Amino acid sequence: MNRRDLELLSSYLDGQLKPSETARLEARLSTDPNLRAVLDDLRSARGLLRQLPLRKAPRNFTLTPKMVGKNPPLPRSYPAFRFVTALASLMLFFTLGLNFLGPQMASSGYSGFGGGGAPEVFSAEEAPAAAPEAAMSEPPATEAPAEPAIQMQPLPTATVAPAQDSATRELQTPDEKNGVTNTTDVQEQPQASNRLPSIPPSWQLVLAAIAALGGLVMVLMRQAAASQWRRK
Amino acid sequence: MDEQALIHDAQKGDLESFNTLILHYQDSVYNTALRILGDDDLAADATQEAFISAFKSISSFRGGSFKAWLMRTVTNACYDELRRQKRRPTTPLEPDTDDGDEMDSPRWLADPNMTPDQKAEADELEHALQHCLNNLPLEFKSVVVMADIQGMDYSEVAIAVRVPLGTIKSRLARARLRLRECLQGFSELLPTSFRLEEGSNV
Repeated sequence: MNRRDLELLSSYLDGQLKPSETARLEARLSTDPNLRAVLDDLRSARGLLRQLPLRKAPRNFTLTPKMVGKNPPLPRSYPAFRFVTALASLMLFFTLGLNFLGPQMASSGYSGFGGGGAPEVFSAEEAPAAAPEAAMSEPPATEAPAEPAIQMQPLPTATVAPAQDSATRELQTPDEKNGVTNTTDVQEQPQASNRLPSIPPSWQLVLAAIAALGGLVMVLMRQAAASQWRRK
Repeated sequence: MDEQALIHDAQKGDLESFNTLILHYQDSVYNTALRILGDDDLAADATQEAFISAFKSISSFRGGSFKAWLMRTVTNACYDELRRQKRRPTTPLEPDTDDGDEMDSPRWLADPNMTPDQKAEADELEHALQHCLNNLPLEFKSVVVMADIQGMDYSEVAIAVRVPLGTIKSRLARARLRLRECLQGFSELLPTSFRLEEGSNV
Protein backbone atom coordinates (compact mmCIF):
# COMPACT_ATOMS: atom_id res chain seq x y z
CA MET A 1 0.00 0.00 0.00
CA ASN A 2 1.53 3.25 -1.06
CA ARG A 3 1.10 6.52 0.78
CA ARG A 4 -1.10 8.03 -1.89
CA ASP A 5 -3.63 5.19 -1.61
CA LEU A 6 -3.55 5.44 2.14
CA GLU A 7 -4.36 9.14 2.00
CA LEU A 8 -7.12 8.49 -0.52
CA LEU A 9 -8.70 5.88 1.72
CA SER A 10 -8.45 8.07 4.80
CA SER A 11 -9.97 11.06 3.00
CA TYR A 12 -12.63 8.80 1.48
CA LEU A 13 -13.66 7.78 4.99
CA ASP A 14 -14.21 11.43 5.85
CA GLY A 15 -15.98 12.24 2.60
CA GLN A 16 -13.20 14.61 1.57
CA LEU A 17 -12.65 13.30 -1.97
CA LYS A 18 -13.94 14.91 -5.12
CA PRO A 19 -16.76 12.99 -6.83
CA SER A 20 -14.43 11.86 -9.61
CA GLU A 21 -11.83 10.61 -7.10
CA THR A 22 -14.54 8.88 -5.12
CA ALA A 23 -15.82 7.08 -8.20
CA ARG A 24 -12.36 5.89 -9.18
CA LEU A 25 -11.57 4.69 -5.66
CA GLU A 26 -14.88 2.88 -5.31
CA ALA A 27 -14.20 1.11 -8.57
CA ARG A 28 -10.84 -0.06 -7.27
CA LEU A 29 -12.33 -1.06 -3.91
CA SER A 30 -14.84 -3.32 -5.66
CA THR A 31 -12.02 -5.29 -7.26
CA ASP A 32 -9.21 -5.05 -4.66
CA PRO A 33 -9.88 -6.94 -1.38
CA ASN A 34 -6.59 -5.73 0.08
CA LEU A 35 -7.67 -2.12 -0.41
CA ARG A 36 -11.00 -2.94 1.23
CA ALA A 37 -9.23 -4.52 4.20
CA VAL A 38 -7.13 -1.42 4.74
CA LEU A 39 -10.21 0.75 4.49
CA ASP A 40 -11.93 -1.40 7.12
CA ASP A 41 -8.92 -1.12 9.41
CA LEU A 42 -8.78 2.63 9.07
CA ARG A 43 -12.52 2.81 9.68
CA SER A 44 -12.16 0.69 12.82
CA ALA A 45 -9.30 2.83 14.12
CA ARG A 46 -11.29 5.99 13.50
CA GLY A 47 -14.37 4.42 15.10
CA LEU A 48 -12.42 3.54 18.22
CA LEU A 49 -11.10 7.06 18.54
CA ARG A 50 -14.57 8.47 18.10
CA GLN A 51 -15.86 6.25 20.86
CA LEU A 52 -13.45 7.70 23.37
CA PRO A 53 -15.66 9.39 25.94
CA LEU A 54 -15.40 13.13 26.30
CA ARG A 55 -14.10 13.72 29.80
CA LYS A 56 -15.60 16.48 31.83
CA ALA A 57 -13.09 19.14 32.81
CA PRO A 58 -11.93 18.36 36.37
CA ARG A 59 -12.60 21.96 37.38
CA ASN A 60 -13.58 25.30 35.93
CA PHE A 61 -10.72 27.01 34.17
CA THR A 62 -12.21 30.49 34.38
CA LEU A 63 -9.68 33.24 34.82
CA THR A 64 -9.28 35.75 37.61
CA PRO A 65 -7.89 39.25 37.03
CA LYS A 66 -4.79 38.25 38.95
CA MET A 67 -4.11 35.32 36.61
CA VAL A 68 -4.04 37.58 33.59
CA GLY A 69 -2.30 40.44 35.37
CA LYS A 70 -5.28 42.72 35.06
CA ASN A 71 -5.99 45.50 37.51
CA PRO A 72 -9.53 46.28 38.58
CA PRO A 73 -11.11 49.16 36.64
CA LEU A 74 -10.59 52.40 38.54
CA PRO A 75 -13.09 55.27 38.63
CA ARG A 76 -12.80 57.90 35.91
CA SER A 77 -11.83 60.53 38.45
CA TYR A 78 -8.78 58.51 39.52
CA PRO A 79 -6.36 60.10 37.03
CA ALA A 80 -7.43 63.59 38.20
CA PHE A 81 -6.63 62.67 41.81
CA ARG A 82 -3.34 61.19 40.72
CA PHE A 83 -2.43 64.36 38.85
CA VAL A 84 -3.36 66.66 41.74
CA THR A 85 -1.49 64.48 44.24
CA ALA A 86 1.60 64.33 42.10
CA LEU A 87 1.54 68.06 41.44
CA ALA A 88 1.04 68.91 45.12
CA SER A 89 3.88 66.56 46.11
CA LEU A 90 6.15 68.07 43.52
CA MET A 91 5.39 71.60 44.58
CA LEU A 92 5.81 70.69 48.23
CA PHE A 93 9.26 69.26 47.65
CA PHE A 94 10.17 72.21 45.50
CA THR A 95 9.16 74.75 48.13
CA LEU A 96 10.85 72.75 50.87
CA GLY A 97 13.99 72.59 48.82
CA LEU A 98 13.82 76.28 48.04
CA ASN A 99 13.37 77.26 51.68
CA PHE A 100 16.05 74.88 52.88
CA LEU A 101 18.69 75.43 50.23
CA GLY A 102 18.04 79.13 49.59
CA PRO A 103 19.71 80.49 52.73
CA GLN A 104 22.53 77.95 52.45
CA MET A 105 23.25 78.92 48.89
CA ALA A 106 23.12 82.57 49.81
CA SER A 107 25.47 82.17 52.76
CA SER A 108 27.94 80.23 50.62
CA GLY A 109 27.82 82.95 48.04
CA TYR A 110 25.37 81.48 45.58
CA SER A 111 22.41 83.67 44.97
CA GLY A 112 21.11 82.17 41.79
CA PHE A 113 21.54 79.62 39.13
CA GLY A 114 24.21 81.68 37.37
CA GLY A 115 26.14 82.47 40.52
CA GLY A 116 28.54 79.59 40.11
CA GLY A 117 30.14 81.17 37.08
CA ALA A 118 31.39 84.27 38.84
CA PRO A 119 34.61 82.94 40.37
CA GLU A 120 35.76 81.45 37.10
CA VAL A 121 35.14 84.72 35.29
CA PHE A 122 36.97 86.50 37.99
CA SER A 123 39.98 84.18 37.98
CA ALA A 124 40.25 84.22 34.24
CA GLU A 125 40.14 87.94 33.97
CA GLU A 126 42.29 88.48 37.01
CA ALA A 127 45.11 86.33 35.74
CA PRO A 128 46.56 88.86 33.27
CA ALA A 129 46.57 91.56 35.92
CA ALA A 130 48.42 89.33 38.31
CA ALA A 131 50.87 88.20 35.68
CA PRO A 132 53.17 91.25 35.89
CA GLU A 133 53.56 90.72 39.59
CA ALA A 134 54.38 87.13 38.95
CA ALA A 135 56.88 88.09 36.30
CA MET A 136 58.65 90.45 38.68
CA SER A 137 59.25 87.68 41.18
CA GLU A 138 60.58 85.59 38.27
CA PRO A 139 58.83 82.31 38.85
CA PRO A 140 59.02 79.60 36.18
CA ALA A 141 56.62 80.30 33.35
CA THR A 142 54.55 77.24 34.11
CA GLU A 143 53.93 78.36 37.67
CA ALA A 144 52.68 81.76 36.63
CA PRO A 145 48.99 80.86 36.87
CA ALA A 146 49.49 79.20 40.22
CA GLU A 147 50.59 82.28 42.02
CA PRO A 148 47.63 84.40 41.14
CA ALA A 149 45.46 81.51 42.16
CA ILE A 150 47.04 81.57 45.58
CA GLN A 151 46.63 85.27 45.78
CA MET A 152 43.03 84.98 44.84
CA GLN A 153 42.23 82.19 47.24
CA PRO A 154 40.41 84.30 49.75
CA LEU A 155 38.49 85.96 47.00
CA PRO A 156 36.08 83.26 45.83
CA THR A 157 34.16 83.27 49.08
CA ALA A 158 33.94 86.96 48.74
CA THR A 159 33.21 87.13 45.06
CA VAL A 160 31.09 84.11 44.23
CA ALA A 161 27.91 85.73 45.36
CA PRO A 162 27.79 88.66 43.05
CA ALA A 163 25.28 87.64 40.54
CA GLN A 164 24.38 91.22 40.82
CA ASP A 165 25.89 93.08 37.94
CA SER A 166 27.40 95.83 40.00
CA ALA A 167 29.37 93.47 42.16
CA THR A 168 30.60 91.52 39.16
CA ARG A 169 31.65 94.69 37.44
CA GLU A 170 33.67 95.68 40.47
CA LEU A 171 35.42 92.36 40.46
CA GLN A 172 36.12 92.56 36.77
CA THR A 173 38.00 95.81 37.18
CA PRO A 174 40.67 94.82 39.62
CA ASP A 175 43.44 97.10 40.81
CA GLU A 176 45.56 97.46 43.88
CA LYS A 177 42.44 98.31 45.91
CA ASN A 178 40.89 95.00 45.21
CA GLY A 179 41.22 93.77 48.71
CA VAL A 180 39.22 96.65 50.01
CA THR A 181 36.44 96.44 47.48
CA ASN A 182 36.09 92.70 48.01
CA THR A 183 35.65 93.19 51.69
CA THR A 184 32.79 95.55 51.09
CA ASP A 185 31.24 92.95 48.75
CA VAL A 186 31.34 90.31 51.42
CA GLN A 187 29.50 92.59 53.73
CA GLU A 188 26.81 93.05 51.14
CA GLN A 189 26.12 89.29 50.70
CA PRO A 190 23.79 88.70 53.62
CA GLN A 191 21.64 91.54 52.49
CA ALA A 192 21.31 89.95 49.06
CA SER A 193 20.33 86.55 50.49
CA ASN A 194 17.74 88.11 52.70
CA ARG A 195 16.02 89.26 49.59
CA LEU A 196 15.49 85.62 48.37
CA PRO A 197 11.81 84.70 48.19
CA SER A 198 10.76 82.37 50.95
CA ILE A 199 7.63 80.17 50.70
CA PRO A 200 5.38 80.66 53.71
CA PRO A 201 4.98 77.49 55.82
CA SER A 202 1.24 77.78 55.56
CA TRP A 203 1.52 77.13 51.82
CA GLN A 204 3.62 74.07 52.47
CA LEU A 205 1.08 72.82 54.97
CA VAL A 206 -1.68 73.23 52.41
CA LEU A 207 0.36 71.42 49.76
CA ALA A 208 1.20 68.61 52.21
CA ALA A 209 -2.46 68.29 53.12
CA ILE A 210 -3.49 68.12 49.45
CA ALA A 211 -0.83 65.50 48.69
CA ALA A 212 -1.77 63.39 51.71
CA LEU A 213 -5.48 63.66 51.05
CA GLY A 214 -5.03 62.86 47.38
CA GLY A 215 -2.91 59.81 48.24
CA LEU A 216 -5.49 58.63 50.73
CA VAL A 217 -8.33 59.00 48.24
CA MET A 218 -6.31 57.07 45.65
CA VAL A 219 -5.68 54.22 48.07
CA LEU A 220 -9.36 54.10 49.01
CA MET A 221 -10.38 54.12 45.35
CA ARG A 222 -8.06 51.19 44.62
CA GLN A 223 -9.34 49.21 47.58
CA ALA A 224 -12.95 49.85 46.67
CA ALA A 225 -12.33 48.81 43.05
CA ALA A 226 -10.49 45.65 44.14
CA SER A 227 -13.21 44.60 46.57
CA GLN A 228 -15.89 45.29 43.95
CA TRP A 229 -13.92 43.14 41.48
CA ARG A 230 -13.64 40.28 43.96
CA ARG A 231 -17.39 40.30 44.60
CA LYS A 232 -18.16 39.77 40.90
CA MET B 1 -24.58 32.11 23.70
CA ASP B 2 -23.71 34.90 21.27
CA GLU B 3 -20.14 33.84 20.62
CA GLN B 4 -19.24 36.77 18.38
CA ALA B 5 -20.46 39.32 20.92
CA LEU B 6 -18.56 37.57 23.71
CA ILE B 7 -15.39 37.48 21.63
CA HIS B 8 -15.83 41.15 20.78
CA ASP B 9 -16.23 42.08 24.45
CA ALA B 10 -13.29 39.89 25.43
CA GLN B 11 -11.15 41.65 22.87
CA LYS B 12 -11.97 44.87 24.69
CA GLY B 13 -10.64 43.31 27.88
CA ASP B 14 -13.88 42.03 29.39
CA LEU B 15 -12.81 39.03 31.43
CA GLU B 16 -16.35 37.97 32.27
CA SER B 17 -17.18 37.53 28.59
CA PHE B 18 -14.05 35.48 28.10
CA ASN B 19 -14.92 33.35 31.12
CA THR B 20 -18.27 32.58 29.52
CA LEU B 21 -16.40 31.36 26.45
CA ILE B 22 -14.11 29.31 28.69
CA LEU B 23 -17.07 27.58 30.32
CA HIS B 24 -18.38 26.68 26.89
CA TYR B 25 -15.10 25.32 25.52
CA GLN B 26 -13.24 24.05 28.55
CA ASP B 27 -14.30 20.40 28.11
CA SER B 28 -13.10 20.32 24.50
CA VAL B 29 -9.86 22.09 25.32
CA TYR B 30 -9.21 19.87 28.32
CA ASN B 31 -9.92 16.67 26.38
CA THR B 32 -7.59 17.73 23.58
CA ALA B 33 -4.84 18.39 26.09
CA LEU B 34 -5.59 15.13 27.89
CA ARG B 35 -5.29 13.04 24.72
CA ILE B 36 -2.14 14.81 23.56
CA LEU B 37 -0.41 14.70 26.93
CA GLY B 38 -1.92 11.47 28.30
CA ASP B 39 -1.97 12.79 31.85
CA ASP B 40 -4.80 14.54 33.63
CA ASP B 41 -2.71 16.85 35.79
CA LEU B 42 -0.55 17.97 32.90
CA ALA B 43 -3.66 18.38 30.79
CA ALA B 44 -5.26 20.60 33.44
CA ASP B 45 -2.11 22.73 33.61
CA ALA B 46 -1.93 23.02 29.84
CA THR B 47 -5.62 23.92 29.65
CA GLN B 48 -5.22 26.69 32.19
CA GLU B 49 -2.12 28.00 30.44
CA ALA B 50 -3.92 27.87 27.12
CA PHE B 51 -6.82 29.97 28.38
CA ILE B 52 -4.50 32.52 29.98
CA SER B 53 -2.52 32.74 26.78
CA ALA B 54 -5.71 32.93 24.71
CA PHE B 55 -7.06 35.85 26.74
CA LYS B 56 -3.81 37.74 26.45
CA SER B 57 -3.65 37.27 22.71
CA ILE B 58 -7.34 37.41 21.86
CA SER B 59 -6.82 40.67 20.02
CA SER B 60 -4.97 38.63 17.39
CA PHE B 61 -8.13 36.62 16.65
CA ARG B 62 -9.39 37.88 13.31
CA GLY B 63 -12.55 35.85 12.93
CA GLY B 64 -13.21 32.36 11.58
CA SER B 65 -13.48 29.33 13.81
CA PHE B 66 -12.89 30.33 17.40
CA LYS B 67 -12.65 26.67 18.37
CA ALA B 68 -9.82 26.15 15.87
CA TRP B 69 -8.06 29.23 17.24
CA LEU B 70 -8.43 27.91 20.80
CA MET B 71 -7.18 24.50 19.72
CA ARG B 72 -4.06 26.09 18.29
CA THR B 73 -3.47 27.73 21.66
CA VAL B 74 -3.94 24.52 23.60
CA THR B 75 -1.75 22.58 21.16
CA ASN B 76 1.01 25.11 21.72
CA ALA B 77 0.50 24.84 25.48
CA CYS B 78 0.81 21.05 25.18
CA TYR B 79 4.02 21.38 23.17
CA ASP B 80 5.42 23.65 25.86
CA GLU B 81 4.36 21.19 28.54
CA LEU B 82 6.00 18.30 26.71
CA ARG B 83 9.20 20.31 26.31
CA ARG B 84 9.16 20.98 30.05
CA GLN B 85 8.60 17.28 30.69
CA LYS B 86 11.61 16.42 28.59
CA ARG B 87 13.76 18.63 30.77
CA ARG B 88 12.36 17.11 33.96
CA PRO B 89 11.92 13.48 35.06
CA THR B 90 8.61 12.17 33.76
CA THR B 91 5.71 11.18 35.97
CA PRO B 92 3.79 7.95 35.37
CA LEU B 93 0.88 8.30 32.97
CA GLU B 94 -1.35 6.17 35.15
CA PRO B 95 -2.38 7.60 38.50
CA ASP B 96 -0.95 6.01 41.60
CA THR B 97 -2.90 4.68 44.56
CA ASP B 98 -2.36 6.11 48.01
CA ASP B 99 0.19 3.37 48.58
CA GLY B 100 2.13 4.51 45.57
CA ASP B 101 1.17 1.51 43.41
CA GLU B 102 0.11 2.12 39.87
CA MET B 103 -3.60 1.57 39.34
CA ASP B 104 -4.61 -0.97 36.71
CA SER B 105 -7.67 0.98 35.82
CA PRO B 106 -7.42 4.70 36.33
CA ARG B 107 -9.99 5.95 38.77
CA TRP B 108 -10.59 9.13 36.76
CA LEU B 109 -12.03 7.13 33.91
CA ALA B 110 -14.82 5.70 36.02
CA ASP B 111 -18.38 6.36 34.87
CA PRO B 112 -20.91 5.66 37.62
CA ASN B 113 -23.60 4.62 35.10
CA MET B 114 -21.60 1.70 33.71
CA THR B 115 -21.81 -1.88 34.87
CA PRO B 116 -18.54 -3.31 36.15
CA ASP B 117 -18.06 -5.26 32.90
CA GLN B 118 -18.72 -2.23 30.74
CA LYS B 119 -16.43 -0.18 32.87
CA ALA B 120 -13.66 -2.73 32.60
CA GLU B 121 -14.17 -2.89 28.84
CA ALA B 122 -14.14 0.89 28.44
CA ASP B 123 -11.13 1.22 30.71
CA GLU B 124 -9.18 -1.28 28.67
CA LEU B 125 -10.12 0.37 25.43
CA GLU B 126 -9.25 3.81 26.67
CA HIS B 127 -6.03 2.59 28.18
CA ALA B 128 -5.00 0.92 24.93
CA LEU B 129 -5.95 3.92 22.83
CA GLN B 130 -4.13 6.35 25.05
CA HIS B 131 -1.08 4.13 25.00
CA CYS B 132 -1.12 4.10 21.20
CA LEU B 133 -1.73 7.84 21.04
CA ASN B 134 1.21 8.43 23.32
CA ASN B 135 3.42 6.54 20.88
CA LEU B 136 2.48 8.76 17.96
CA PRO B 137 4.72 11.60 16.87
CA LEU B 138 3.42 14.88 18.23
CA GLU B 139 2.44 16.34 14.87
CA PHE B 140 0.37 13.23 14.07
CA LYS B 141 -1.15 13.10 17.51
CA SER B 142 -2.49 16.65 17.49
CA VAL B 143 -4.07 16.13 14.07
CA VAL B 144 -5.75 12.83 14.92
CA VAL B 145 -6.98 14.12 18.27
CA MET B 146 -8.61 17.15 16.68
CA ALA B 147 -10.04 15.34 13.66
CA ASP B 148 -11.16 12.03 15.16
CA ILE B 149 -11.71 12.80 18.82
CA GLN B 150 -12.86 16.42 18.65
CA GLY B 151 -14.64 15.89 15.34
CA MET B 152 -13.17 19.02 13.75
CA ASP B 153 -13.16 19.24 9.97
CA TYR B 154 -9.96 19.32 7.96
CA SER B 155 -9.95 23.08 7.44
CA GLU B 156 -10.35 23.74 11.16
CA VAL B 157 -7.50 21.35 11.95
CA ALA B 158 -5.37 23.06 9.31
CA ILE B 159 -6.00 26.43 10.99
CA ALA B 160 -5.25 25.00 14.41
CA VAL B 161 -2.02 23.30 13.37
CA ARG B 162 -1.05 25.96 10.81
CA VAL B 163 -0.20 23.54 8.04
CA PRO B 164 -1.73 23.13 4.58
CA LEU B 165 -4.80 20.98 4.07
CA GLY B 166 -2.81 18.39 2.11
CA THR B 167 -0.47 17.93 5.06
CA ILE B 168 -3.45 17.41 7.36
CA LYS B 169 -4.78 14.65 5.08
CA SER B 170 -1.39 12.99 4.96
CA ARG B 171 -0.77 13.19 8.70
CA LEU B 172 -4.25 11.96 9.53
CA ALA B 173 -3.96 8.94 7.22
CA ARG B 174 -0.59 7.97 8.62
CA ALA B 175 -1.73 8.54 12.20
CA ARG B 176 -4.73 6.26 11.68
CA LEU B 177 -2.49 3.65 10.12
CA ARG B 178 -0.06 3.75 13.02
CA LEU B 179 -2.89 3.57 15.52
CA ARG B 180 -4.32 0.60 13.73
CA GLU B 181 -0.96 -1.18 13.86
CA CYS B 182 -0.52 -0.32 17.51
CA LEU B 183 -4.03 -1.43 18.45
CA GLN B 184 -3.50 -4.80 16.82
CA GLY B 185 -1.03 -5.46 19.59
CA PHE B 186 -3.87 -4.95 22.05
CA SER B 187 -6.41 -7.06 20.17
CA GLU B 188 -6.56 -9.71 22.90
CA LEU B 189 -7.05 -7.07 25.55
CA LEU B 190 -9.73 -5.27 23.63
CA PRO B 191 -13.36 -6.35 23.85
CA THR B 192 -14.52 -8.50 20.91
CA SER B 193 -16.58 -5.71 19.40
CA PHE B 194 -13.49 -3.54 19.16
CA ARG B 195 -11.11 -6.10 17.69
CA LEU B 196 -9.57 -5.15 14.41
CA GLU B 197 -9.31 -7.44 11.47
CA GLU B 198 -5.85 -8.73 10.84
CA GLY B 199 -4.14 -9.78 7.68
CA SER B 200 -4.37 -6.72 5.49
CA ASN B 201 -1.11 -5.70 3.91
CA VAL B 202 -0.73 -2.04 4.47
